[in-house]
Amino acid sequence: MKRRTLLLGAAAAGGGLLLGWAALPPRSRLGDRALLALQAGEVAFNGWIKVAADGGVALAMNRSEMGQGVHTTLPMLVAEELDIGLDRVRLVQAGADAVYGNVATFVASLPFHPRDSEPGRRTAAVKGGEWVVAKLARELGINMTGASTSIVDAWEPLRLAAATVRAQLVGAASLRWRLPKEEIAVRDGVVSHASGVHAHFGELAGAAAGTPAGDVALKPRAAWTLIGRDTPRTDVVAKSDGSAVYGLDVRPEGLLYAAVRMCPVLGGAPQRIGNEDEVLRRPGVQRLVRLPARAGATAGVAVVARSSWHARQAVEALAIDWASPPAGTVDSQAIAASLEAAARDALAQDGGLAYHRRGDVAAAERGAGPGARTVEALYRAPYLAHFALEPINCTAQVRDGHVTVWAPTQVPGIARAHAARAAGVDERAVTLHVTLLGGGFGRRLDADFVAQAVAVAQETGGRPVQLLWSREEDTTHDYYRPAAAAALKAVLGADGRPLSLRIASAGDAITPRWMERGLPWLAGPVDLPDKTTAEGLFDQPYDIAHQRIAHVATRSGVPVGYWRSVGHSHNAFFLESFIDELAHAAQQDPVAYRLALLAGSPRHAAVLQLAAQQSGWGRPSPAGRARGVALHESFGSIVAQVAEVSLAAGGVPRVHRVVCAIDCGTVVNPGIVRQQMEGGIVFGLSAALHGGIDIVAGVVQQKNFPEQPLLTLAESPRIETHLVASEHPPGGVGEPGTPPIAPAVANALFALTGVRRRGLQLRG
Amino acid sequence: MDLLINGRFVPLPDEAVDPAMPLLWVLRDVLQLTGSKYGCGIGACGACTVRLDGVPARSCVTPLSAVGGRAVQTIEGLGGADRPHALQRAWVLHQVPQCGYCQSGLLMAAAALLERQPKPSDADIDAALTNLCRCGTYPRVRAAIHTAAAALAAPRAATPPPPKRAP
Repeated sequence: MKRRTLLLGAAAAGGGLLLGWAALPPRSRLGDRALLALQAGEVAFNGWIKVAADGGVALAMNRSEMGQGVHTTLPMLVAEELDIGLDRVRLVQAGADAVYGNVATFVASLPFHPRDSEPGRRTAAVKGGEWVVAKLARELGINMTGASTSIVDAWEPLRLAAATVRAQLVGAASLRWRLPKEEIAVRDGVVSHASGVHAHFGELAGAAAGTPAGDVALKPRAAWTLIGRDTPRTDVVAKSDGSAVYGLDVRPEGLLYAAVRMCPVLGGAPQRIGNEDEVLRRPGVQRLVRLPARAGATAGVAVVARSSWHARQAVEALAIDWASPPAGTVDSQAIAASLEAAARDALAQDGGLAYHRRGDVAAAERGAGPGARTVEALYRAPYLAHFALEPINCTAQVRDGHVTVWAPTQVPGIARAHAARAAGVDERAVTLHVTLLGGGFGRRLDADFVAQAVAVAQETGGRPVQLLWSREEDTTHDYYRPAAAAALKAVLGADGRPLSLRIASAGDAITPRWMERGLPWLAGPVDLPDKTTAEGLFDQPYDIAHQRIAHVATRSGVPVGYWRSVGHSHNAFFLESFIDELAHAAQQDPVAYRLALLAGSPRHAAVLQLAAQQSGWGRPSPAGRARGVALHESFGSIVAQVAEVSLAAGGVPRVHRVVCAIDCGTVVNPGIVRQQMEGGIVFGLSAALHGGIDIVAGVVQQKNFPEQPLLTLAESPRIETHLVASEHPPGGVGEPGTPPIAPAVANALFALTGVRRRGLQLRG
Repeated sequence: MDLLINGRFVPLPDEAVDPAMPLLWVLRDVLQLTGSKYGCGIGACGACTVRLDGVPARSCVTPLSAVGGRAVQTIEGLGGADRPHALQRAWVLHQVPQCGYCQSGLLMAAAALLERQPKPSDADIDAALTNLCRCGTYPRVRAAIHTAAAALAAPRAATPPPPKRAP
């Protein structure tokens, strides 16, 4: 009894503490100035910004540049608020502090329906949930570049950090010149007064860093001179003359090279090696290191040599006996069949986890009047690999108990933790340099290769070693976009409008598996619902009175990961193809049909209308071609695409032109938004036409580009992107361009041939 | 042995190389010229493209023994910040690169194309540039090659006219 009272009391006290914590405002994201390392003459203002003696500014860059333009857009936010030229903002590597973590990703992972979470109509539950998760994410401080959140996450904190520095500089000038703050201007890196006194930032920095900022206000939209302008990227010159440094290009003194071979059967391990001594005697070859199954990687071996080629030749020559995983091997064909069955069953039996419910679907189906029609379809999508053009690699040095890592990674904190664990040192003994990424697309949200590189570097007597996977290892040991299936059923009224919509999808949960690999302390014993594989079905805007949108989370044993646009990548194909089927069943124009369902979603309707209008929708297509349309919201942005498609010899689809419209809220850099739309479309088209990974008895069948083609320049369509002017907060742009292209092309193919393709890929 | 790289004879220590070693790894790991990239190792993606006597070659499948006395040009020899090649200017104008990893190879293939065909059609570009780009810079690559071709045809013009809208 007493013990129980005590426990209850402790629980109440704990709960009270938790409530108290939850009620406190979130910790500031300004960051302590002590976080920035200083060189001679530099003055730090907060965790993000320091000023050099010459008046130049340095920004702690916490996000990885993988093509999406963060090395341009994040400093633009700072340059805007500080009123200094973008060319005077230098980037330095952000450290390990929690202030550099990504809050927006965690807030976006909540499975709220957009109609409850859009600005202006957020419900109390949404506000409360987002508040608590934002606080929690701020405390956890997990640093990741992903989920199209770099601008979304930096939007307030970075501008505020810069505006605070500006206020301090003005405050210091006011004190020094004995002039009112209101009369002091900042322009182009110079603080000045109409009387003629002026000073650059460096001249004021020493005094300003200790000056209270007072009330800090962000610049009003009307005063922006940089945000919203088509500003050239800061990295284009270095990326056009060979001087840009990717992970594979770091060359520390005394560098050795390692090549990796993992068990070809996913989850297997090397046993006996028949010819180890003979291979190690080859010229240039130094040693062999066994690699454990760590951080999600399949076990294997690495050979260290004096060049990547010597290492590759040697590791390929090893006669290795491999052991299959004790848990058995995976087979993609069997998994596809089980996913289809799971989706069908869940549709029929109200199974799966319902992410969205509206009205009463069963009653609506029963009560459908005369003239009502039922449309049902089953859709499926295959496993996909990432194929970042820079294959997986990492460079590491372990010397005197200190670990230095150069990694092209999207997750510096996880990379650091893996490095520390592999070397058996504290994380503070790890120095991490994030290089440029030769593509990420989600593959580099896993850092298994960092653990491998450090394991090898422990065996090289203090010399740095660059570990490189061959393209074949990269393709066959990826964390794949999960295969998926969805069963969809709609009942249309006599007017063709859907009365009800039921969807049941099935596919492997990604987040729990990713956490087990990268953040094991966050991975629970039971999988929590994973929005990332259900997104794109339950969260779309169509106004259908009765809905049940559910997902069955499976666990197939295939290593699965985040792939550009994640669940949206296949779910947009499922839903937007199905909506097209409904329009066809209703004998209505696909654009007009959608618009009738978007009366309550003016932003979506405007995006769809813009794409339709710019594409010439409703006018005849060029001979032999047909148009298809798709609309999809993801990562806080709304995208519509119209694809113009013909069939080449052998029934191969040829996409000639894509018209893309996007509302991504406030645009920071329109040129980069257009670039990301082009990139997202080519990426999605590559998958739609060519993508598919098959696994037989645990072995990935596609190994290099001939077996798994990527879209070529010759196949690339003309792409026209149109931006909707908006004053909403910024949404993402790295991923939202990808989801609509597969259904737009599939819908065009249907218009062209009358044959509905319900599986990806769309070839043949 | 010596290699003629970007207009200079570069000595190669015999013990560091092997006649079977692909040129790509000689450039990257022996000579520290890292602008040419490894993407596939089988000559399929073109990230390793260099020029041998002006002709584009996939250096990842070109053994050192096959280079012989031919002049090797890598991205480091195409032009620089002080004297950019017309293609590099066009690359900046059209804001071509995203991640940038494949761009060295694309530029080398494009440079070879423009010497062979100073005014290439879209079809010529499609046929010549078989390099893979995962970020989808293709439409801008095509546009930038046309811009560079126009600039080279009118050498007096200081800079080519800006496009109405990239690409």
